[in-house]
Amino acid sequence: MLLSTVQEANAFPQESVVALERACFRYAGGYGVREITLDLPTGAILGLLGPNGAGKSTILSLAAGFRAPQEGAVRVLGASLAEQGGDRLRARVGVLFQDTSLDPLMSVRETLWLHGRLFGLATGDLHARIDELLVLIGLSDRSSDAVGALSGGMQRRLELARAILHWPDLLLLDEPTLALDPDSKAALWQLLQNVNAQGTALLVATNDVGEAERYCHTVAFLDAGRLVRSGTPAELKRGLRRDSVRVEWADPPDAIEGTLSAWEGVGSVTRAGPHLHATVDDASVFVPRLFAFAQGGIRAVQIHESTLEDAYFQAVRHPFAPNGRE
Amino acid sequence: MTMRTISATAATAERSPVRRRSGPLAGAVIACWALLCRDLRVVLRSRSQLYSSLLLPLMLLAVLGIGISDGLEPSSSVIRDGDYVSYLAAGMIALTALFSSTFSSASFYRDRDSGMLRTVLASPHSPRTIFLGKALAAIVIGSVQALVLLAVAVVIPGIDLDWQYGWLGGLGMAVAAVLLLNLLLSGFALVVATRIRTMQGFHLVMNLVLFPLFFLSGAFFPLGDLPGWLYVIGLANPLSYAVDALQVAAYAADTRGFIGPAIDFAVLGGLAAVLFTLGLKRSPQVV
Repeated sequence: MLLSTVQEANAFPQESVVALERACFRYAGGYGVREITLDLPTGAILGLLGPNGAGKSTILSLAAGFRAPQEGAVRVLGASLAEQGGDRLRARVGVLFQDTSLDPLMSVRETLWLHGRLFGLATGDLHARIDELLVLIGLSDRSSDAVGALSGGMQRRLELARAILHWPDLLLLDEPTLALDPDSKAALWQLLQNVNAQGTALLVATNDVGEAERYCHTVAFLDAGRLVRSGTPAELKRGLRRDSVRVEWADPPDAIEGTLSAWEGVGSVTRAGPHLHATVDDASVFVPRLFAFAQGGIRAVQIHESTLEDAYFQAVRHPFAPNGRE
Repeated sequence: MTMRTISATAATAERSPVRRRSGPLAGAVIACWALLCRDLRVVLRSRSQLYSSLLLPLMLLAVLGIGISDGLEPSSSVIRDGDYVSYLAAGMIALTALFSSTFSSASFYRDRDSGMLRTVLASPHSPRTIFLGKALAAIVIGSVQALVLLAVAVVIPGIDLDWQYGWLGGLGMAVAAVLLLNLLLSGFALVVATRIRTMQGFHLVMNLVLFPLFFLSGAFFPLGDLPGWLYVIGLANPLSYAVDALQVAAYAADTRGFIGPAIDFAVLGGLAAVLFTLGLKRSPQVV
């Protein structure tokens, strides 16, 4: 029987692991993504941020080869889906879906075994790899347990182990830490960073701006299927003023954004219904002046140091999301 | 958009050289085998499915068989000595296959709802390979359960089986009939499952189609004794050929049976091939 190695199959070099060039994908109900140009370099972690329906999952499915763009081009691991075929592409990609995708009746080891066999790992190598991964995810002593008996955090770690079992060159993660407690989140991200350090590029769809800021090398803001802004977290925060002020104002005057942004020391101002968001040089100067200007009507004010979330909030406006997120 | 490239040369070199089988056919065979093993393990853990598929036919065999044999004393020439229990055995084997195959095929929905299906479809195999693997599991599970019922029928003293081709030949025919029946049922289940979105709808369609067919298959009463219109429906019913093949194998008074084994196997094999092809032609979008 013919045998080859994963490394042999992955021999051709390429700079971009995922490259979208004016890619469009339209569902029956509207656009998933439109004219998106995006690039994930080798070994990088790219975070996709945006409200629900922004196109994050569509980009992941394009990168996984589950879908092909209707317009534009998508190249993954150096070739388009048509050039390399879905089967060959999927052999080099790992996927961590947003929703749990485990069979509660299977044991931890069986779950990994099935995946390894589907990806063609030889039995001996597979058992060694499973043992190695069980140690990595801290489930060595639970390998015979039914998946249904594991906690949510353990199940997520198991799903991650399954996704990286075949040494993918690209790992696609859809909301990897959704519904996890802070400890589990930190543990999962530590695993992801280890995976990334071994050369696997990560494309992460997330709603957690803090995570994206901490762990992603580059971040893309998406809204309604379009790319709004992208860059490193530092690049995206550039131009923000020092403080971030969020204001809940019962009935702000029309065109209040323009009025406030004309004030000295005030950067960008955005509004979503009764909610205003401004980045300012000094909140201790801005807030008293705002109260004097409003003459009542302000219900709440929140002040903190500007973060990537502020950059996100300014780039992605959503009428139903006072803090920029649904 | 240009982003900074992060060198991972050193890290990549640490990777273990995991060996992969490169032949697509070998890969597909391994994938089907892995899915078969997995579904078998899951069924063995799902005791309720395992037992219910066997208990209902056994209960019918005992209650209906003895009740009609002793209570109604059937006089049809096809039912030897009015022994309805023995006549019913072939039909109950077919019923076991029907139940078991339907339950096993419904695992498509369980896998879809648990997310497992999406995961296996994200592997480097075509959806056809994945569905073939799952269908094979349903065929094996259905066949084993049906043959377990045959084994039970053999050891129950009150059931008088008559092996027209010798017990080995009869057993071979029964195994072939059961396999083809399960192939047909799994093919039909595949056709339904790739078109019906909910498990409730799947069971509704399966029950709506298969149970009337089963009642008119000769499992409960000989087709030859039916009025003309029911007889025609019986002949148009694919399950009739499976029941006939089983009766030829282990019950009929002669080697020809009611329809004839050659026609039985030709119809079962042909229909199973058509339904399987139809089922594999269309894969549901689950990713």
